[in-house]
Amino acid sequence: MGYLQPVTVGRAVEALGLAAVVSAELGGEISGAQVSDLLSYVMAEGKRGQVWITIQTHPNIVAVAGLAGMHAIFIAGGFEPEPETVARAEEEEIGLFISAETSYTLAGRLYELGVR
Amino acid sequence: MDTRRLAHHEFPILGRAYFLGGRASTSVKQVLREAGVSEATVRRVAVACYEAEMNVVLHARSGYLALDIYPDRVVVAVIDKGPGIENLELAMTPGWSSASDEARALGFGAGMGLPNIRDQADKMEIQSGKGEGVRLFLTFNREGCESGVPAAGDSGTSS
Repeated sequence: MGYLQPVTVGRAVEALGLAAVVSAELGGEISGAQVSDLLSYVMAEGKRGQVWITIQTHPNIVAVAGLAGMHAIFIAGGFEPEPETVARAEEEEIGLFISAETSYTLAGRLYELGVR
Repeated sequence: MDTRRLAHHEFPILGRAYFLGGRASTSVKQVLREAGVSEATVRRVAVACYEAEMNVVLHARSGYLALDIYPDRVVVAVIDKGPGIENLELAMTPGWSSASDEARALGFGAGMGLPNIRDQADKMEIQSGKGEGVRLFLTFNREGCESGVPAAGDSGTSS
């Protein structure tokens, strides 16, 4: 089994071709990921240092990510965050990135990158 | 049980204000950190508070969250004015939810709220009935050697 380099948010953003909406936590090491559009699920399962792939765009995603101690949210499917979501992510210093790719594709690429 | 209350805070919660949801819980997290409560305990309290706060936002007209910090525990009360819970056993069943379609479209209403709260808290008590609102009381035991806990005899702070 090969040794996997730690993946930072910045490295993942570059490798996955994500567009930055809020460039926070770029140096944070990604400890894992969640792929879900159910907030309670992420609240229960989300762990410190993870990133969250979702198609939800409203401000509550920032509250959930912040409370769970996650580094960043990747919004998939070409959806764009609401202005209040952006404001809260800036306020709470949580990375917010978007992509036209599906959640499935982003998760696959993140896995390939070495995030487990 | 240590009866010295170190701090008391109250945070209002507005029903239906989805966009504000999580504000009270985020404030709770900040207050607990500043009080020197350990990260593990902060996280448990924050997760439970978020679920309880969103229950008020999703189902009630208004409510508030009261936070009390003691040397050995954190106590949270979430009180709302709303329709109340008719069948508590059903409400505690994972996956069961009475959330609106609008709320479900936003990713709420997974039926995990109360079960999540139960998993995080060391003690949970719900008082409710149809038309009576909900009164939720939670206790979280603090870990043995947390920083910021004043020695016996220290009066502590309150706000």
